[in-house]
Amino acid sequence: MRMVNFRLPYNTGRIALVLAAVLLVGFLLLPSQLQGVFQEVGSPIGWVLSWPLRAAASVQEGIADFWGGFVALRGVAEENKELRKELEHLKGQNSQLREAAVATERLTALLEFKTRAELSMVAAQVIGRDTGNWYRTIILNKGESDGFKSDMGVITSAGVVGRIVKTTAATSVVLLVTDPNNAIAGLVQRTRDEGIVEGTTQGMARLKYIPLLSNARPGDRVVTSGLVGGFPRGLAIGTITRINKDEEALFQFAELTPDVDVGRVEEVLVIQSPNVQAEGEQLGVPAVRPKS
Amino acid sequence: MKMAVLATLIAGLVSVQSILLPHMMVWGVMPDIGLIAVCLVGLFGGELEGLLLGLALGWIMSLFSAADLATSMMTKGAVGYVAGLAGRHVVYLAPAVFVLGILAISCVAGLVTAALLNLSDQQDWWWAVRAVVAPQAVMDAVAGGALYWLLWSRLNIERWVSEYRT
Repeated sequence: MRMVNFRLPYNTGRIALVLAAVLLVGFLLLPSQLQGVFQEVGSPIGWVLSWPLRAAASVQEGIADFWGGFVALRGVAEENKELRKELEHLKGQNSQLREAAVATERLTALLEFKTRAELSMVAAQVIGRDTGNWYRTIILNKGESDGFKSDMGVITSAGVVGRIVKTTAATSVVLLVTDPNNAIAGLVQRTRDEGIVEGTTQGMARLKYIPLLSNARPGDRVVTSGLVGGFPRGLAIGTITRINKDEEALFQFAELTPDVDVGRVEEVLVIQSPNVQAEGEQLGVPAVRPKS
Repeated sequence: MKMAVLATLIAGLVSVQSILLPHMMVWGVMPDIGLIAVCLVGLFGGELEGLLLGLALGWIMSLFSAADLATSMMTKGAVGYVAGLAGRHVVYLAPAVFVLGILAISCVAGLVTAALLNLSDQQDWWWAVRAVVAPQAVMDAVAGGALYWLLWSRLNIERWVSEYRT
């Protein structure tokens, strides 16, 4: 059997070793500049690699569909019954919400809001997850060529998913709201107390820097405050499950259950122009205009 | 030919690591098959081959992760180089020794990564060891051992290596 010879010629090897040493010194002396260069050069490589990733994601999706369609049919009748009940409940709720929406529109007109900032959004599909174990991220099938940039907010209809931290020509990496390294400006909807939402090591989230005098309580909803980052005001983040008040601490913090199940998200919307809305607009649902 | 083989290997490893392995997580951790591949190539191909594959794989995997590019490149490059140095001085490598080697290398690489990454204040050293480094090292050792056994028993790796080295 003929074997592929991987061994490099002596000169090539020596040059490679010198290059590796130069790289190491470069990363030590100019870490951000050199990383920027590699990120730029890696962008077309990311585009090339996005094709096998998409192919593998399609195969995986096909297998999942097959499993869902044929194998996991047990209990569907019961689930169907439950869903019908839920549908009836939601129909009632929907008519109430329609009434509320009409009232909100009327109030908005009364308050003479001249413009309602529309969010420019692009839909993207999740094709993978982080290649390492240190961060909780998802990989999207769109990147720089679709106008995606770092720090853009990523949402679903249920609420905030995370924000883009890295892009190539055809893919983007989204740091999830449940990652401890993420930070999103949030506020408690009922009390209007602002804070910073970050993930926890348990895969949940928490709202930090709530004033000690705040009367936030479990069950309160937390939304984006729109002060910083790629999110407008009023997008759902999660619901408070517990308030922690340490003695002698300057602030309290709240544990949250995120509204989005980030482990199961398949399609997302990327906010391309997070125009900050006026204070009164939090009363209504932000206008959404998906491009694709 | 060599470039094509390496490019295919890298594309396959990235796809498996980001699409297939997240479905096989145990305690929220999956094995790093890139690290295992770099170890195997370094061990049987030599230190420079290990170094180059490690640098390339570390770079490309970091494009699909929030992890720092330099940390990923340098860690995998160093692992490939060390594996190559070890391979140069080893005539016979028992599977058990290989498994222990992967365990040790994965532990060291994990600790170095934890030290170099700018993690949040919640993710202290104890968390890093307990939640990522130790479980990942165990999984790398198991996955690497299984792959090595496959190469050893099915693909006659001894003959492959001896032909390769001569």
